[in-house]
Amino acid sequence: MKGQSWLSRRSAELRSWLRAITQRRRVEREMAAELEFHLEAVTADLIHAGKSPEEAARQARIALGTAMTHKEGMRASMGLRWVDEARADLRYAARMLRKSPGFTAIAAVSLALAIGANTAIFSLAKVLLYDRLQIPRADELKLLRWTGDDKVVAHSMWGDFDNSPGGGQTSSVFPFPVYREMSLHPSGMRSLAGFKEDGMNATVRGTARRVAVAEVTGNYYETLEVRPQIGRAIQPSDDVVSGSGNVVVISDALWSREFGRSPDAIGQTITLNQAKLTIVGVNPPRFTGAKNVLQSPDMFVPISLEPLLSLHRDKGSDLANADFWWVNIVGRVKPGVEESKAQQGLRVQLEAAVRSLCTVKDGDTIPVLQLVEGSRGLRWADRLFRKPLYVLLAMTGLVLLLACANIANLLLARGAQRQREMSVRMALGAGRARVARQLLTESLLLAVLGGCGGLLLGYLCRNALPGLLTNPWENFSIQVSFDWSVFACTTAIILSTGVLFGLAPAWFAAKTEVSSSLKESAQTTTRRRRGASGKALVGLQVALSTLLVVGAGLFIRTLTALSSQDVGFNTDHLVLFDVNPPDARYPAGKDVALHEELEKRMAALPGVQYATLSGTAYIADSMSNSDFLPEGEKFDKSKRTAEDFNVVGNNFFSTLQIRIIGGRGFTSQDTATSPKVAVINEALAKKRFPGVNPIGKMFRADRDKNDLIRIVGICADTYYYTLREGPPAQFFLPYVQQKEVHGMTYQLRTSLSTAALAPMLRNTVQGIDRDLPVTDLRTQREQINASLQIERALAALTSGFGVLALALACVGIYGIMAYSVAQRMNEIGIRLALGAQPAQVRRMVLRESTWLTLAGIAVGVGGALACTRLVRSMLYGVGPNDPVTIMAGMAVLVAVALLATWIPARRAAAVQPMQALRHE
Amino acid sequence: MVAKPDDKQADLLQGTLDLLILKAVSLGPLHGYGVLLRIQQISGEELVIQQGSLYPALYRLEHQGAIASEWGDSENNRRAKYYRLTTAGRKRLEAETEKWNRMAGIIAGILRTTPESL
Repeated sequence: MKGQSWLSRRSAELRSWLRAITQRRRVEREMAAELEFHLEAVTADLIHAGKSPEEAARQARIALGTAMTHKEGMRASMGLRWVDEARADLRYAARMLRKSPGFTAIAAVSLALAIGANTAIFSLAKVLLYDRLQIPRADELKLLRWTGDDKVVAHSMWGDFDNSPGGGQTSSVFPFPVYREMSLHPSGMRSLAGFKEDGMNATVRGTARRVAVAEVTGNYYETLEVRPQIGRAIQPSDDVVSGSGNVVVISDALWSREFGRSPDAIGQTITLNQAKLTIVGVNPPRFTGAKNVLQSPDMFVPISLEPLLSLHRDKGSDLANADFWWVNIVGRVKPGVEESKAQQGLRVQLEAAVRSLCTVKDGDTIPVLQLVEGSRGLRWADRLFRKPLYVLLAMTGLVLLLACANIANLLLARGAQRQREMSVRMALGAGRARVARQLLTESLLLAVLGGCGGLLLGYLCRNALPGLLTNPWENFSIQVSFDWSVFACTTAIILSTGVLFGLAPAWFAAKTEVSSSLKESAQTTTRRRRGASGKALVGLQVALSTLLVVGAGLFIRTLTALSSQDVGFNTDHLVLFDVNPPDARYPAGKDVALHEELEKRMAALPGVQYATLSGTAYIADSMSNSDFLPEGEKFDKSKRTAEDFNVVGNNFFSTLQIRIIGGRGFTSQDTATSPKVAVINEALAKKRFPGVNPIGKMFRADRDKNDLIRIVGICADTYYYTLREGPPAQFFLPYVQQKEVHGMTYQLRTSLSTAALAPMLRNTVQGIDRDLPVTDLRTQREQINASLQIERALAALTSGFGVLALALACVGIYGIMAYSVAQRMNEIGIRLALGAQPAQVRRMVLRESTWLTLAGIAVGVGGALACTRLVRSMLYGVGPNDPVTIMAGMAVLVAVALLATWIPARRAAAVQPMQALRHE
Repeated sequence: MVAKPDDKQADLLQGTLDLLILKAVSLGPLHGYGVLLRIQQISGEELVIQQGSLYPALYRLEHQGAIASEWGDSENNRRAKYYRLTTAGRKRLEAETEKWNRMAGIIAGILRTTPESL
């Protein structure tokens, strides 16, 4: 190799540079010492040659030249020059920003708000919509789904279910025997793992609680390629025959909550739905199971335990039932096999398995299997949050744009003010690049200030945002980790705006002739140009604000319309909680007896006026339905005969204060042995018994049974599962007349708070069964609020953005008008001197800003009309072009504009003609 | 002894100062003033280095790793900064010397050309 290699030279330069930076004082000292030595040596030589000491010293200094210049050259040699310049720029920039604290504060705060809001919303969206399961090579994981027409063989299902776009239905649950058959030799797949997540009652270290449990097949951990952090995973040997492995793997969260991360947890016993299980392992921290990416079930158990955990005595185990579709299946495609090939093979296998195992009646069709992306689980969060998040993302995007416009406007205004300064600098010989670099430093410093604020805000919002989307009593939390890539991205956008508009003045300065802009008269040309672009920016701000304010208005009106809805029963002082007796301990009949006992004890509690219970809670996004066949009506497959219903306690109507319109409600005379009775609501009476008095009529609630139920009363309509759909037709059956009811929701009419009730309720329930937890304690109001969570979050966030937008627009309008007034000082002085009244001047200024605002509003309303249509499905009780909202939005903006212009207008009106004429 | 530039002395060709410093230092460690003296000495007082351009050049070469410095005692017991050639500097000196000689040969050949030799 010839010469000094490039690499060795660069690395030497880097070392030398770092040394010079870090030991700057020493380097400077050595430089001085070296030149000093040089002078002394030259002087000594000259004295030696016969010169007098003074003369020698003089000549030596002349020969060397100015030490300052040499030192500058030496510093440049070491790459220190630009560092020094940058430092000087920074010092100057800091001084400039300190000198105008108003400008600095407004710019930095608006940047911080925009960066913070964007970081928070994008981080949330990333977690909710894009994050993958925390398993090795998550992108390879496939989920099995099926689609079928409306006559598909799956009649009895437990799991996700959707109407597919082309008619028919789609779902991702399968009967367990079908899964077992397919998993023996899955076509094109390495393995197929089955799982189901469910809520169960667990007693861990003596406390009974509700936990989320994943029942998984023996090859689940193998398929996901996940290894527990301590202990072992669930193995195929745990899953050989029903109930073979009484083992459980617990989540990292449960491990820290209950066992303080102690390794002693392994080997301990917990009770799950009355079954005793041994803890054998703890999952890794970020593993959430295959169902979702947000939160892990607390426990993972072999699916073979299913009969032990939930025994339906009359039906037999779900593991053996080929007509009950409930298991989710995931798998990985074999390497080298095309996904379409694997899907084709599995399709054939599914069809064969369904034909051989399930009861396929005449007219039933076989579902068609599909392999879909499984890296985000069943994606329920996508469905729930996609639209609201898109709205929020769009809105934060607008806020970002607004903040950029704001910063651009502020920087342009400042640049125009400093035109003279730039010209002076250039006239004194500063290079164009040098001036540009200095402006750049100022913009960057500003952006860094805003960035730090944004970082702080984004970090705080990260914890606040998920709180808006979850409710307090379910311990479900969305973990949003602070996302650096999102923050970096937002900051980069803001930075480039800052750089772009920070440099624009330098560009203009460079284009103007130095001499011409130093002359007073020439300034107006550049000002007019800057005035136009500034006004356009402010117009844009007003337009964006209009859009945001109208959007926020629509969501606020939706929320008020929904929450002021009269649901048909009295929601005040109504406390709800759930009791879910496990099937294994409370088989059919025993559960009814338990609830009867509990109902009695609840009603006897001090402070409780009424107590009742129902199979389904109201306004909780869940509902039950059942056949409703009036006597004489034949079951017809082509007609929908199912109606919404609920099983309720005998004093349900009096507790909830639902009016009985005709006949009677339930009484204590309605018992398990008395004739079967029902109450229907007005809507059902109108729908199924038009023009007939339904009281006394008989009906069947099960197409396969002949038990007739007599309608004894009609009650007023109530909302049922959601506030978004009006009261549906419903009928009510007394729970005491049911064979089995499983878990029920209790409703207590009481003036006590949930906090005061909690210990009483727990004692009452555990006085009967130590292992039975009281779960989901909340008031009916909280329940309704929870069902409006997304609407509330949207309304809160969008109005936050709306206020932010208004503030930014206000700043923008104020800035441009203050500037315009300052610029027209001369003209205003002349007007006043010629006899104009101060009020006229004030009106003139106000008129200017009003025109600007109106133009912005017109554009904004046009945009709003185009955009709000996209959110039509998210609105309630208000149209996308709601004139009230739009008018209100416009009025708010006009008011804000007038407010922002008031100070400059007053200043203009207060101008003293003489002073103004002397100005400049 | 410091010589003043006058017409008799040759001007330094652009870019040759680095090469001369490397050569001077290759003969043994020198302080800055020593480099100046040695170049004048070995050029037979024909070449004069601008004292102002010497130190930036020394710093540049040290920055690039071609020479290294160390503080030591001078002949009259003053602290002085001594420069010596590094391995990288030696390689660079060899390469530049070869390049210089080749260039000089080519130029000399061109200048020797007479109408007859074409």
